[in-house]
Amino acid sequence: MIYFLYAIVFVICVYTGRHYWFTLNRLFGFQRHPYIDIDTADWPPVTVLVAAHNEEKVIANILEALMTVKYPEDKMLVIPVNDRSTDRTREIVDHFVAEFPGRIRPFHRVAGKGGKAAALKDAMASVDTEVILIFDADYIPGAGLIKQLVAPFFDMEVGGVMGRVVPLNAGTNLLTRLLDLERSGGYQVDQQARMNLRLVPQHGGTVAGVRLSALREIGGWNENSLTEDTDLTYRLLLNGWKTVYQNRSECYEEVPEVWPVRIKQIMRWAKGHNQAMMTYGLRLLLGKHRATLRERIDGTLLLGVYAMAPITLLGWTLALGVFYQGVAPLHGVIALLSLTAYAALGNLAAFFEIAAAARLDGTRKRICLLPFLIFGFAVSIFSVSRAAFSQVRDLVTGADFHWDKTERFRRAV
Amino acid sequence: MNSYLAVAALVLSVGVMFLLPLVPALAELGRKSDALPLNVVQQNAGDVRHFANGFRAYIKVLEPILEQCLKDGSTASGALPDGVNYIVLGRTDEAAMLAFHPQDANHPLLVLAGTDLIVPSETTFPQDIYARGHFAGGEKNSYRAILGDTSIYLGASTTVLRWVHAVGEFTAGPGCTLYGRLSSDSLIRLHAACSFLRLNAPRIEIGIVNAEAPAHAQFFTGSNTPASPRFLYDGDFEVQAGQVITSDLVIRGKLRIGSGARISGSVKSLEDMAIEDGVSVEGSLISARRMRIGPHCIIHGPVVAERELAIAAGTRCGSVEHPTTVSAPRIEVEEGVVLAGTLWAREQGLVVPSP
Repeated sequence: MIYFLYAIVFVICVYTGRHYWFTLNRLFGFQRHPYIDIDTADWPPVTVLVAAHNEEKVIANILEALMTVKYPEDKMLVIPVNDRSTDRTREIVDHFVAEFPGRIRPFHRVAGKGGKAAALKDAMASVDTEVILIFDADYIPGAGLIKQLVAPFFDMEVGGVMGRVVPLNAGTNLLTRLLDLERSGGYQVDQQARMNLRLVPQHGGTVAGVRLSALREIGGWNENSLTEDTDLTYRLLLNGWKTVYQNRSECYEEVPEVWPVRIKQIMRWAKGHNQAMMTYGLRLLLGKHRATLRERIDGTLLLGVYAMAPITLLGWTLALGVFYQGVAPLHGVIALLSLTAYAALGNLAAFFEIAAAARLDGTRKRICLLPFLIFGFAVSIFSVSRAAFSQVRDLVTGADFHWDKTERFRRAV
Repeated sequence: MNSYLAVAALVLSVGVMFLLPLVPALAELGRKSDALPLNVVQQNAGDVRHFANGFRAYIKVLEPILEQCLKDGSTASGALPDGVNYIVLGRTDEAAMLAFHPQDANHPLLVLAGTDLIVPSETTFPQDIYARGHFAGGEKNSYRAILGDTSIYLGASTTVLRWVHAVGEFTAGPGCTLYGRLSSDSLIRLHAACSFLRLNAPRIEIGIVNAEAPAHAQFFTGSNTPASPRFLYDGDFEVQAGQVITSDLVIRGKLRIGSGARISGSVKSLEDMAIEDGVSVEGSLISARRMRIGPHCIIHGPVVAERELAIAAGTRCGSVEHPTTVSAPRIEVEEGVVLAGTLWAREQGLVVPSP
């Protein structure tokens, strides 16, 4: 048992070291933004897919924003993917189609498998452009965002592009403020450091793009995946395509305003991520493909981030167990476990990453909220662990994954 | 010490240690002094003319005065609501008069000229300048920003600190230092030893250029869509001289493209890229490190080098019909290069003599 504990502490230390490496790189290293200066070009035709399932509160905002972006009108087609909505989403979409003839082509999906990946897969029949951008319906792209997200596709090594997500409702309550800090650390430090270090920036599935030929090469969207973005990242990587992160391509989103919605969201992310870990983990680390050694290592660690929650809980349990059994492990091990656990939990960016991100963003006072992250951490560690355990249970019982849509909080237009 | 007291003291001290960091957190949560969403640029799409457009809007309030001065052939001066002093010149001779001011002067005024404007040498203009007519600056001047409705000429060894926009042609004499954004709606011409950061115009000429197209490099005719899927290679690679490649190239190593080669797709190398003379590329050229483009090449798509870029004389990047972006942290461009679109050096761009 004691060796198992040592192994857990070692893994946690690896994650902690990785997070420190990212933070130091972001503060002092060479920053890569290779495509952001491409502001003039023969812009390629692009299709913008807007995934929408019961999005009457937000769909008008994104369609309005997309109609005002600075991209050649004759080269941009917006396809709202209305996935079996039962609210006014269809009516709102059709209103925009009438108002902007030729610029919006709706895809009203009335039946089929649930989930974003399945909806996108069906919508692909209407797509014939090499560059595809994807937005969730609660996002509000700025005027220059489309060009910024298209620019990396001039690089033929790039199969996927990811922009930065910024919460619009950051100031609503404690939860949104904590999520704002967490997003800041995750994108400003974690994603950009992975871009700088040529590791594996993660495709987020929104404020994002994918190359059609790359997507076809890897077999299209995986409708069985709960997180089609993570799944896409790894299939692209295994097939010799890169996903790049554009930190300056920022887009507003809406974050959950109540804890139950947040818990559902993070549980879905955890399940999807773990699913990708089971599917691609070994193949990525040891298989024969074109990823570099550093991509193999970082990609594997990235796949394991949500598994760290139950592992950390297990570590704590073991530590308590050996203590009460009177076993004396190496004295520093327990302390090391306490110290590093908080700094290791994957997607929930470590506190020093968030502090560095706040500094890079030039915000000052919001950093005072850092101690509250302990509550977010507590909720996340148990939610993510619960997701992992229920996933194992589903595996045993053969139950299907269930897709939970994230509830919106904006007032309907 | 009483054991109960000790326990109480321990609980108290631990409680204080736990709660102390929450005090500023609770204060910020209540006050919401930094609770607005991060400022994401929604409308300014990084337009190179952003400041010029802003300045045009800023001086709109002075338009009636400028019209009146032009009508009367008079000069007016005053202060804008934000306290900036201005001078409005309505006569050609008034405008030209600035040329007779003593040298080494400092003109802390916002200058608006309704006619041509000639300014003396070795003068500093810490406020912006607007010229409705041609603008000609003397040597060794220093400007904050210039907006010209026709052409702008800057004398040798001039420094521009923020931006210049010319509706007509913009020309910088030898040895100018051009910080910030330089744009023109028709042509930018830079002479020897000029340094620059960001240029944008339908045509950018570096030094004296040959009006004819490069002798041996040719564009492909018809569709620029590569016929074959991308060619991905792990390691160093060389495209032979004169070779015709009809696919995209992704080389995870160094890449050398021999003279006269023609590539109908895009090219990417993870290490240094060296392109010999007379090569034509229909798509983009991207190097994750340094790139050297030899003489008389034609590049159709965007050119990006993540470290350094050197472009030799006679090369053309983009065209008036298909403008493009050439970008790298450090760029050296030989005299005789022609570009269309954006030339953007994040750290330093330099015009160097052609050998």
